[in-house]
This record gives sequence, structure tokens and C-alpha cells, in this order.
Amino acid sequence: MAVPLSQMFTVTKYVLTQKLKGVKRYPLVLMLEPLFRCNLACAGCGKIQYPDHVLDRRLTPEQCWAAAEECGAPIVSIPGGEPLIHPEMPEIVRGLIARKKYVYLCTNAILLERKLDEYTPSKYLTFSVHMDGLKEEHDRAVCRDGVYEMAVKAIKAALKCGFRVTTNTTLFDDANPERVRAFFDEMMKLGVEGMMISPGYSYQKAPDQQHFLKRHRTRELFSKILGNRKPGWRFNQSPLFLEFLMGKREYQCTPWGNPTYNIFGWQRPCYLLQDGYVRTFRELMEETDWERYGTGRNEKCADCMVHCGYEASAVQDTFSSWSGFSRTVKATLLPNAR
Amino acid sequence: MTDAKYHTPEDLTLQGRVFRPSSTTELHEAIEQAFDYRGDVTLELTSGETVIGYVFNRDANSAVPALELFPRDLPGVRKIAYADVVSIAFTGEDTASGKSWEAWVAKKESQRRAESEQVAAAAKARGHL
Repeated sequence: MAVPLSQMFTVTKYVLTQKLKGVKRYPLVLMLEPLFRCNLACAGCGKIQYPDHVLDRRLTPEQCWAAAEECGAPIVSIPGGEPLIHPEMPEIVRGLIARKKYVYLCTNAILLERKLDEYTPSKYLTFSVHMDGLKEEHDRAVCRDGVYEMAVKAIKAALKCGFRVTTNTTLFDDANPERVRAFFDEMMKLGVEGMMISPGYSYQKAPDQQHFLKRHRTRELFSKILGNRKPGWRFNQSPLFLEFLMGKREYQCTPWGNPTYNIFGWQRPCYLLQDGYVRTFRELMEETDWERYGTGRNEKCADCMVHCGYEASAVQDTFSSWSGFSRTVKATLLPNAR
Repeated sequence: MTDAKYHTPEDLTLQGRVFRPSSTTELHEAIEQAFDYRGDVTLELTSGETVIGYVFNRDANSAVPALELFPRDLPGVRKIAYADVVSIAFTGEDTASGKSWEAWVAKKESQRRAESEQVAAAAKARGHL
């Protein structure tokens, strides 16, 4: 795996502590959305579809830190909107690092090169750059020409300054597997620490059979992309999650694994669905009717295979038994084994 | 980032519509619609007050069912009991309408380019590019 040993140790210690305490539901990654304002307008992105006065609202550094402390997850992912737009983002990041959180600061990288000197390289800080494919695919996905080249330039600059950098890729059914594999080659050549991939979320009211076909197509796509994996590719994700994407194993969703906090509060039930908000993390965990969500329980969950729900399921599998642990070791060392 | 591409039913926007619920069921349904709506609404209250803002939360099952709203022209949050709502008008722009991936792909290249440049210009004017 691409993740540094210190981070792996921290996450392992955290998960084992939860298990020893008998905690049934625990968060793994806090999805902290300090604002929804963005400098792109990717078609279909629901995260930016708000009136201007809502897009102008932001979380304060104190609110961000309080959320991280309340949640207790060892990892904090900061998506948006575009987080680098937030004028107090360097302060937010410093405060999270002071609390020993591993921060994944998501960005489309348009502002990254300009703002690099506002941050200090640290084992706790990773810039997670949104890259949906090679130039043609990425610029098409973000609905603006030139963004891919800007992002590549920023990635190179960040790596040169000693920052940890990963890429974050969302793939929909129309992705070309060979082009995606070529994209992986390019990102590894750039020298990023690792890559994160996930299918996108697309909810459409449809009969069950169509949902089945959609999940089948997603698994087919990821089998073509991840089958016969090249040894040089490094994924910053659970190998069991990658096997789930390929259809090699089944999981139920773990929506509390990646709890979301934003300007509206703690979001029920997960990063993707917006079924209401509560004031405290405790209310989210203890008073949400979790049984209403997940594949087979809710139509809005029928097609979903996104990392924010299923990566935690894979991590749970790793640490729940010796066989889960040995499956993880095998998947790590022999990713192309049948 | 674009983790999600929502299939917004283009022909079903509520923009411009007004609901005057005449029962508890209708009131709950109308508030649910306001919660799902990606634009500002105008609420007429039993006090005669008019409130304009974005409904971001609702709890129909609490002891006193209430919605939460970001007022358009004021900071902070406003909490309003369901029982205080007389009418809901979907007066603000539906920011999701016409913004689906399918709608984007269906546009001509020249239109996509023009919209992309508009978005970039707006971001630049705000100092975000």
C-alpha cells in the first residue's frame, strides 16, 4: 500500500481499540465540508447547487476542529466545493494537524500552486487532487478546458516542495478502461503517493432489474480496469474495497464510517444522501435509523458502490477476523490472483 | 468534486409554484418539497411575517415539527414550526434545473463553451481563479 507506516499504524490502533471496546459503529474518516463554493461548475455536481447566499457561508476553524474532536475519526477528508477558496483553510489544516489528524485536503488544484506557501509539508497532510482521467476525459468531466494541465503542473510543484499528494478519481459507466489504465500510468509517472478511485453515484428511480444491471456494469468496468493490475500502480485504498468494485466480494454499506459535517450540521445518513441534519455527532450515530439505508433497503442506495460507504466495510472486514486479515494480505501481495 | 451526477428531472421544477396547504398532510408534503428544492422559498407565516430563505432541514417527527432555514439576507439560522407556515412559494431560482450531466451533454459545443467561460468569469470576479 502507498500509505505511510505511521498512518497505517494509527488507523490500525484506532480500529482495534474500537473493537476491543466493543463499539458497534465507529467513524473512520470525517468528511468535513467547510464550504460549497467552487471555482468549477462540473455538470451534475449536486454539491454546488445552492443559492449564492448559501454558497457564501463557511464553517469557522473552531467549528471544524470541534467537529473533528467530537467525531474522533483518525482521518479527516476535506472536500467541498473547492476547499482552497476558504480564506482560513491553512488555519483549519494547522489545527487539525495539531490534533494529530491525518488530513486529506481535496482540491481541483486550480489554486494549489498559488497557495502552496500557505501550507507546511507534513506526514499528516495530503493534497488529494481531483483527476477524473487523462486530459480529454478530465477536462470534459469538469466542463472546462485546461484544468488537467493546470492540475499536473500543481501536482509537480507540490511534490517538489515535499508535500504528500494523491489523486482522487470518480468513474462513471462511460469510462474507457484502457484510457483509465493509461491514466494510472501517467499519475504514477508524475510521482504521486497513491491513487484513489471510486464509481460515481447516480440515483435514478428505476425498477430493481435496472439497478442490478447498473451494479453489474460497474463491476464489469472495474474488472476491466483493475484486472491484470500493473505492479507499479499504488492505490491509497483498501485492497478489499478494490475487490468489491470488481465484484469479487460483497459488502453492505457502512454509512457511519464516513460521517459528514458541513454548514448545515451533521448530515444524515451519509456523504451522498441528504436526508436531514442534526446538531451533534452523538445524535447522528445514536438516533439515525441506519436500518433504512443500504443496498436492498433503500432505492436511493440501490446503485451505490461509492468509497464513502463501502471502504469502511472493507476495513471492517480486514479487522473482524483472522480470515479477513489474511484476505487483505493476499489481496495486497497478489492483486491479480483469481 | 463530482462524486455524484444527479438525474434532475428537468420538467419537474417547482420554481414559480405556490402551495397553500389545507391539511397537516399537505403541509408536511409541501415542506418536504421545500426541503428537496435547491433554491430559496418564500414562507408566509401565521403572524403575517414573510420569510425568504433556503430550507436546509426539517423534522416532521419531533414533538414540535419544525424546519430550519438560512435567511437570504441575514446571518444565522431560523427555526420555524410547521404550524406557523401558511404558504410556501418556490420563488428562488432552482439551481439544479438544467444542470444535470445529461443536459450538459445534450448542449451544442458552442453553448457548453460559452457557459464554461461564464462560470470562469464569475469565479475570477470573486477572486477564486
